[in-house]
Amino acid sequence: MKGKIVSIHSFRGGTGKSNVTANLAAQVAMTGKRVGVVDTDIQSPGIHVLFGLDENKMGKTMNDFLHGKATIREIGFSVGDHPGEGEGRAKLVGSNLFLFPSSIKGGEISQILREGIDFNLLNEGLQTTITEFDLDYLFIDTHPGLNEETLLSIATSDVLIIILRPDNQDLQGTSVTVDIARSLDVPNLFLLVNKALPKYDFSVIKKDIEAQFEATVTGVLPLSFDMAENASKDLFSLRYPDHEWSKSLRGVVDFVLAAK
Amino acid sequence: MSGDILKQLRETDFFKELSDDALQAVAAEGTVRRYAEGESVMRKGDAADSFFVILDGNLKIVTQDAKGDEIIINKVQPGETVGEMSLIDQRPRSAGAVALEEVEALELSKDVFLELLTERTDVTLGILKGYSNRLRFSTTYIEKVIDWSQKTAEGDYSFLENTQPMLNRAGSDDDKAAQLLSAFYSMVRKVKAREEGLKQELERLTFEIDQERRKREFEEITGTEFYAQLKAQAKALRERRAQG
Repeated sequence: MKGKIVSIHSFRGGTGKSNVTANLAAQVAMTGKRVGVVDTDIQSPGIHVLFGLDENKMGKTMNDFLHGKATIREIGFSVGDHPGEGEGRAKLVGSNLFLFPSSIKGGEISQILREGIDFNLLNEGLQTTITEFDLDYLFIDTHPGLNEETLLSIATSDVLIIILRPDNQDLQGTSVTVDIARSLDVPNLFLLVNKALPKYDFSVIKKDIEAQFEATVTGVLPLSFDMAENASKDLFSLRYPDHEWSKSLRGVVDFVLAAK
Repeated sequence: MSGDILKQLRETDFFKELSDDALQAVAAEGTVRRYAEGESVMRKGDAADSFFVILDGNLKIVTQDAKGDEIIINKVQPGETVGEMSLIDQRPRSAGAVALEEVEALELSKDVFLELLTERTDVTLGILKGYSNRLRFSTTYIEKVIDWSQKTAEGDYSFLENTQPMLNRAGSDDDKAAQLLSAFYSMVRKVKAREEGLKQELERLTFEIDQERRKREFEEITGTEFYAQLKAQAKALRERRAQG
């Protein structure tokens, strides 16, 4: 089947999930693949900022689609045509990378939360997105925790990447997510450690966490002040390709491309 | 007195390349000297008019520090030669030699030595051959040390596994190069051990998962009707996808 759904999840907030999702999607697009990014973090959307999409210029959103008020075609925003400002993003010109943003309007958010989302509707939406845009990969930036929307995303994923920091609270939450992903038969389950303090031996962190979950750790990314300083101004791994963080992130791309 | 001066001469680095005939010529021209413990064999700054092949007993090679106190810079054992350098480069003694115990040495005067060099081509060639060997050895060792230095700088310690530097024999000059190699080898071994120690000292994170809580939270999520329905829908979806 063409078009894989790759969900990026973390149990707690602050793991750098949106940043990783945006950078990973951009890196996969740089390999020549057709890539989409869906922001289903409907409660606190934000990935559009990383792609330089101005909130005021945002047209139709995923919320409109979920309410039958817009087609997927109308929502897709071509990052390759409009990479926005930033040295890093400029490298995306001509790439096939599309963003499907969520609404940031309070009223629309609460409406979705009140009504809930239907699995089949969401799934149809994602499949339509893949077909209409002829995508190789559709990345889903999910909301932290294990609420119903997130469970839906996990259930529909071909690849699930769980981002965690190397601490016990993140490990505890991740353990439940790992069990859920296995219960929902997600074919490719990957872990990605972010914000590891450079003073630790990353190979030991990788080994220890893999032993805890019997799952592949696709990378251990360092906690970086450079990254924090860049904030959401640009896509870090494109702007600073030789940085340790960027190099480790590119290692994750291979796992995504190799996933069956 | 040692019964076999020829044998001892043959074991010195300086004369080891000489033929028996040439060795005999050297031995015949030398004078056996004996020194009591503490006696000076030669003094720093003296004119170099002879050199010595040590036949028995140990000596110390000494110089003085700025205050005039003695500094021992080397120890010399039987089979080694003392003072041959200044005989060739015609400069005053660069250090003194003092017997550490009763010492027996074969002294060859400068005149006798130079005469030998003039008259016996085989002696000259033998001595040159010895020098050449020592240079060759030193060069090989220096190249090795350069190679190891570069590897060490890059953090590549694999040569430690593949090399066993030879143990020092007597403290003769070409062995100084071997000593350098050996000292370098053990230095790198210590550097490596220290580096590994530091790595281990790095704080290691300990990960612990509360398995009961994990199980409880999993059951809370999976125990709902929503989840049961989702699981069934997901299963159906995966089957549809598998069929293509």
